[in-house]
Amino acid sequence: MAVERFLQPRASSWMTNDGKNVDIAMSTRIRLARNLNNFKFPYAFTEDEALKVDKEISSVLLDKGNELDYTFSHISIEELAELQKEILVEKHLISPYLINSHHSGSVLLSDNEELSIMVNEEDHLRIQSLQSGFQLQQAYKIANELDSLLEKNLSYAFHEKHGYLTSCPTNVGTGMRASVMLHLPALTMSHQIQRIIPAISRLGMVVRGIYGEGSEALGNVYQISNQLTLGKSEYEILQDLENMTEQIIQQERRAREAIALNSPVVIEDRIYRSLGVLTHSRLLTTEEAATCLSDVRLGIDLKMIQDVDMSILNELMIFMQPAFLQQYADKPLQPKERDFARAKLFRERLNRNGINSEGEDLA
Amino acid sequence: MICDQCGERSASVIVKQQQQDQIVKVNLCHICAAENHSINIAFEQDPLAIHQLLSNWFPNSQASINPVRKEVATCPSCGFTFSKFLRIGKFGCASCYDAFSPQLNEIFKRFHNGNTEHNGKIPASYGTTLKIKKEIEELRKQMQISIQGENFEEAARLRDEVKILSAKLEGGIPDGS
Repeated sequence: MAVERFLQPRASSWMTNDGKNVDIAMSTRIRLARNLNNFKFPYAFTEDEALKVDKEISSVLLDKGNELDYTFSHISIEELAELQKEILVEKHLISPYLINSHHSGSVLLSDNEELSIMVNEEDHLRIQSLQSGFQLQQAYKIANELDSLLEKNLSYAFHEKHGYLTSCPTNVGTGMRASVMLHLPALTMSHQIQRIIPAISRLGMVVRGIYGEGSEALGNVYQISNQLTLGKSEYEILQDLENMTEQIIQQERRAREAIALNSPVVIEDRIYRSLGVLTHSRLLTTEEAATCLSDVRLGIDLKMIQDVDMSILNELMIFMQPAFLQQYADKPLQPKERDFARAKLFRERLNRNGINSEGEDLA
Repeated sequence: MICDQCGERSASVIVKQQQQDQIVKVNLCHICAAENHSINIAFEQDPLAIHQLLSNWFPNSQASINPVRKEVATCPSCGFTFSKFLRIGKFGCASCYDAFSPQLNEIFKRFHNGNTEHNGKIPASYGTTLKIKKEIEELRKQMQISIQGENFEEAARLRDEVKILSAKLEGGIPDGS
């Protein structure tokens, strides 16, 4: 089945550790929302229309994808098992909304997993372009090229005044949402993030914790994205977001320096405790794992930890989630059993890679 | 209270769920509640709860059951009424944008920092005609300025240019749609 290759516990290229400012900016995403002219939007269309939309879009991508050197795999959501759907969500290749939709939907994935085109999500088309690190221009270039290929072969719903027409009034115009995932432990520790978030929202952008909605983001990972899609060109939106992200990155660097300077022992203790938890615990909740992963990441960035590979941490962020754990264990797991499986996963992945594991591994 | 999921029936079940360290509350009607074994809240979709914002901005349009039946804007293509649009916060099709157009500027302004017009990418197939229309608009503006400044020669020249461009448009440059 076409989906198998995308379910493997292997990191996608955009989860790796290349790219500018990669110590703070973890990944970049561009999403373009588009609809076809001759069909009602997903909130109003019939199942029959849903199937036709899927067929029209998929055939263009499957036939013409090679013009841009892509090979796409078409995956029907209905044909997937529950666990498979959840794995694709955990990998950020599809949205939770798509798997809960009442209509026929699908996703077309490029072999390198950098492009994901969801069909019949909230809009007929959601083009998603993913890159590692902080690469807004590159991610947009790839999304834009694919969009131009599609518009040559499909008739888009476009309005002279309002631009690209979308189901939701918050996406109309460019239909573009650009976002960067940021690891901001020092701004969180020093509570500066709480001042930054409201300030940014006044500028047509938004910062929020990527896992969960509270003020404390799980694992100190935040997402910054543009809120505004109408009135500015794609180029201006990207410029604004890029400037703002650069400023946040600088602030985070300054906060890190301050922490390393003012309380070096406290921070070093915290980092090594977390490394200890990840490499030795027998039960590990998502929250604890995320917190410790954040500390260890910081430890690597501050050059306190030398022998852990950052890209393993990126992988673990994804693979510690419930669906992946259950695939890894090859059976359904209750929450407590997941904590056990998660701890085992961390020990195996981290100890295999050079960290000296003291004590016997009884598991 | 309206069901958070379908946005149509009234809610009769409150579901509280522990999600990554916090309690998430959802109000569901009996049908949606039955369908939901594990509730996945699509935060990514609607961080703002758009329909709530909309109904706060247009409290009067919400009262669709009115004894004196007022004419409610209805989209001829998909059948969405303006009050349904406000209730679920989504358009049903491209024609909704025309059907509800008198109210849209107000809505877009609030969502997009006062902006109502698209300034970004234009699909190539729309490009030619749209570009000409924008040029004509610009020339007309300049023409007005020339007339006000009593620069009638310039105004006449601009008028001729508008004529040529208008003829081009009517001459049926294929717009590809």
